[in-house]
Amino acid sequence: MHMSSELKVEGDFPVHFRYTAGLAGERFLREIKVNGRLVAARCSKCDLNYLPPRIYCERCLSKLEDYVTIENIGTVDAFTVCREDSDGKDFPQPVTVALVRFPLAHGGIVHKMKGEVAVGDKVHVVFKEKSKRTGSILDIEYFEKIT
Amino acid sequence: MGTALKEEDIERQKVLTVAYQPKVKYAWATGIAIGRFLNGLKAGEILGTRCEHCGRVVVPPRIFCEWCFKRSDSWVKLPDTGIVNTFSISYITTDTTRVKTPIIPAVIGIDSTTETGFLHLIGGVKPDDVRIDMRVKAVWLDPSQRKGSITDIKYFAPLR
Repeated sequence: MHMSSELKVEGDFPVHFRYTAGLAGERFLREIKVNGRLVAARCSKCDLNYLPPRIYCERCLSKLEDYVTIENIGTVDAFTVCREDSDGKDFPQPVTVALVRFPLAHGGIVHKMKGEVAVGDKVHVVFKEKSKRTGSILDIEYFEKIT
Repeated sequence: MGTALKEEDIERQKVLTVAYQPKVKYAWATGIAIGRFLNGLKAGEILGTRCEHCGRVVVPPRIFCEWCFKRSDSWVKLPDTGIVNTFSISYITTDTTRVKTPIIPAVIGIDSTTETGFLHLIGGVKPDDVRIDMRVKAVWLDPSQRKGSITDIKYFAPLR
């Protein structure tokens, strides 16, 4: 150890999380798992379909209980190329993450993108095969360009 | 609106859950005074600083006196004995794990210091026998095991 008077003390904290998706998030994930489709929560008063779904409308504060299926064709709104993971470790290959919006939905989905991408590209969600789905956002494999 | 969930609802997978354990690391710069203090512990010494203006001696050391707003750069080697200012008997650890043998965190007022104390553990005594104002002495790690950390002192034990 060096004997300069300023030292660095390193350590870590044990932190465990268990996250539940909530009522609307649960419905969203189960629709992906069971039916391989995207659903949004509809506010008919405001004519908005929230994606991912919420349990209340952020404009009129109505309780939302109606769900609508969103057609699986979206548009890349923004993307970023990640070279390191959330712990700051280099990915073996860069990972592209895109925000995709869907025509009749308010909001969008952020997920991995397969291959090269440009803003405005038409893409669709590719789900894992049904037997491998667990009810997680990772049941979506990635977005893929529609050619 | 609210939806109550019980532990068993999660265990029986009534609801979907995502479990994860982030890696939460820290690197803490000790600053000048604590750095020297920690190096002192490695050498088996408790070092404090004295304010030459008001005469106050503090440990853990600081480089300024918050009474006088003057630099305190006069270093003193302190005894490794003191008194228990306050203590607690805890049956859970810092990550809330339950333990059968309690840990006894305490604030120790080191001899020759002025109204300061540092947080450490009491050991070598039955929990029920710990008293405020009890005289204690540091029990050190073997010099080869010390690494310039507050844990270079294992605990404070009653001074007999």
